[in-house]
Amino acid sequence: MARPAKRHTRREFLKTSAALAAGATATLSFAAPAVAQRPKLVYWCYQFLKSSDDARANFAQEWAKKNNVDLQISMVPLKEFLPKITAAIEAKATPDIIETNAVELRARGQLLDVTDVYKKLEKTYGGWVGNAPKIMLEPDGRVHHIMFGFQGFMLMTRDDLVRAAGLTPPPATWVDLLAYAKKAQKPPRVFGLGIPVSNQTDSQVWEDMMKSYGARLADDKGRRIVLGDHKKEVWEFLDFFTEVWKAGVLPPGVTTWDNTMNNSTFQSGKAVFILNPITLSLWLEENNPELLAKTGHYTYPRGPKGLIQPVTFGSRAIMKYTKVPDLAKQFLWDSMEPGKMDREHSVSQWGPVLKAYLGFDVWKKKPFMKGLIDLSVRGEPQGWPDVFNDAWREQFTNTTISRMLQRIVVDSWSRDKAFVETLDVLNRIYSKYA
Amino acid sequence: MAIRHRSVTVALPAPARPARWPSVRTRESLGGIGLLAPTVLILVGLVLYPFFYAIWLAFSDKTVGSPGQFVGLRNFIYVLGWPQFSTAVVNTVVFTVSAVAIKFVLGMAVALVLNQQIRARNVFRAFLLLPWAMPAFVVYLVWRWLYDPLSGLINYALIDLGLITNPIAFLSDRNTAMLSVIIAHVWRNFPFYAISFLAGMQTISQELYDAAQVDGASRVQQFRHVTLPGLYHIIGVVVLLTTIWTANAFEPVYLLTGGGPSDATMVYTMLVYVMGMMNLRLGEAAAVSTLFLPLLIGLVLAVTVLLQRKANA
Repeated sequence: MARPAKRHTRREFLKTSAALAAGATATLSFAAPAVAQRPKLVYWCYQFLKSSDDARANFAQEWAKKNNVDLQISMVPLKEFLPKITAAIEAKATPDIIETNAVELRARGQLLDVTDVYKKLEKTYGGWVGNAPKIMLEPDGRVHHIMFGFQGFMLMTRDDLVRAAGLTPPPATWVDLLAYAKKAQKPPRVFGLGIPVSNQTDSQVWEDMMKSYGARLADDKGRRIVLGDHKKEVWEFLDFFTEVWKAGVLPPGVTTWDNTMNNSTFQSGKAVFILNPITLSLWLEENNPELLAKTGHYTYPRGPKGLIQPVTFGSRAIMKYTKVPDLAKQFLWDSMEPGKMDREHSVSQWGPVLKAYLGFDVWKKKPFMKGLIDLSVRGEPQGWPDVFNDAWREQFTNTTISRMLQRIVVDSWSRDKAFVETLDVLNRIYSKYA
Repeated sequence: MAIRHRSVTVALPAPARPARWPSVRTRESLGGIGLLAPTVLILVGLVLYPFFYAIWLAFSDKTVGSPGQFVGLRNFIYVLGWPQFSTAVVNTVVFTVSAVAIKFVLGMAVALVLNQQIRARNVFRAFLLLPWAMPAFVVYLVWRWLYDPLSGLINYALIDLGLITNPIAFLSDRNTAMLSVIIAHVWRNFPFYAISFLAGMQTISQELYDAAQVDGASRVQQFRHVTLPGLYHIIGVVVLLTTIWTANAFEPVYLLTGGGPSDATMVYTMLVYVMGMMNLRLGEAAAVSTLFLPLLIGLVLAVTVLLQRKANA
């Protein structure tokens, strides 16, 4: 027998819905404390070289499991980091731990003081390597980010092509480099120097070259522009650059290269020399060991006034808005443990920052790592001999020196005109921070 | 036994309305406000607030993470004196006007062709939308590769055909960089014009063409006196929208040239990106945007007035 369907009134329907909603809310409110027992940690992991990124992300996952932490990892490429963190800060939805570019945020008071972690690491692992303290310590002795690796540009050379041209690598000076490049290149298939002269930050290697000719941008306090006092040195450098341009050793298109083009040009065998971190070598190790075997890794050539080869770095920091500062500090501490770092260094582009890491086998196993050790031990902080501050960083992201060079070769401006504009731009930038 | 019911008429009192119950007019007003509220909230939250906040930013020394203090016209003075600003103004106008003009002509031409009874017309129409449907990131990276002087397809083809001996750095030469960016941008965006015009053409009555033909009008005259007037309203909307989109385009320059070589393709969106996102100086970036506002409004007004005049003629 079919039962007659019961018709519900609207009022009954609303009552039932309200009762169900109230029930569900009540159930959730009982479940909530159980979820809240697992602290949450948001970690923005620097994304660049897959093997290195995987190593750090895997460690973080294991660490979270071991410590019963609800971990959220986001892989963030360097180029996207600043726009993303800018939006996150403005939206007040920041991660707890970030990697790289800590310095910009430190200057803006966005980072948690981690001096205690810094001191504990220094004491436990035999001290810091090279200029790591200079990079991390602020004038008042506080620390806001913990470096986990040195990185930096070095001269990468197609040794086979250089030797085939009857030369012995490496070239000792920038002038030698030009002479080598001219002799070893075979345009239009292979060009001598794969160096960008564009609006991308990799182009700022020209600033390092200019400084090895004796020029510097600002005074010792990093406040007043003094480049105008170094006109003679800048002129000498510009003469060198003009010669490089006219020699046709730079591939066509360098004035709009992005930061990947020097890599891809070398990877495809179209450049004799490039200036790049060893990320490229690690890629070659995996994907093109034949080319890696033909590649030499050296410190920069010297300028008339010496060697300028700055180091960059990777570091971790804790955003000041974190709700779990102690947990985040624990992560920073645990992530520097030598056993873990040994495994990580064998697949990474990073040089050692703590003396306990200097004995790792990886430095001996891979010949190209030798250059990285030299760089870590002897490299000066970015910007050197200028002070690395907000003003310097802004002129760096503005690619001021590369723009001066573009004015000369793209717009056919005279050296004087280009130099005057550069001085004007530098003064405008530095005066904002004075 | 039959039960007989007596019908009884009872005068029930009318249900008493609570004294606080509002009148019909008030209830209608409240209902209207209730229905409008979500729209107003969205408009205020997503349009008006960001708009006025951006203008406030332009008058502050706001950097990332700092609350920002009122600094009057300082950002505007700084930005107006910045060498790239005047370049960005000129480049933005050149880029916008050229790209909109080319897209218009190309879109109209393609729409006219696809409005004819040709074979596989629907297939062509479907393919036409492909560039527009593809992500901008993919499109511009492909164009970057096509233009590449070392491994790009265009240079390979030109060298193989014997037309050139040395590769051309399309994106890195001041004389060709802007044109190359415009071509890539036009390729991606002209289908929007074509499809819109095509849709408009299909609403024009065939009788008008028949009458014109009887009067001896040529194809060109038919286009001028029947097709174009029939499309004025669509042209107005399409040109207006795309002028705004083109002036605000960021991806083509960012992905193809980064504003180079030597600022030859530096448009205002790129300048805003560098100042705001790279240098973290939001106040200065907002000042650039605010300074461009009159220019954009001027462009939009010019397009509107021009088309309105044509439509009324």
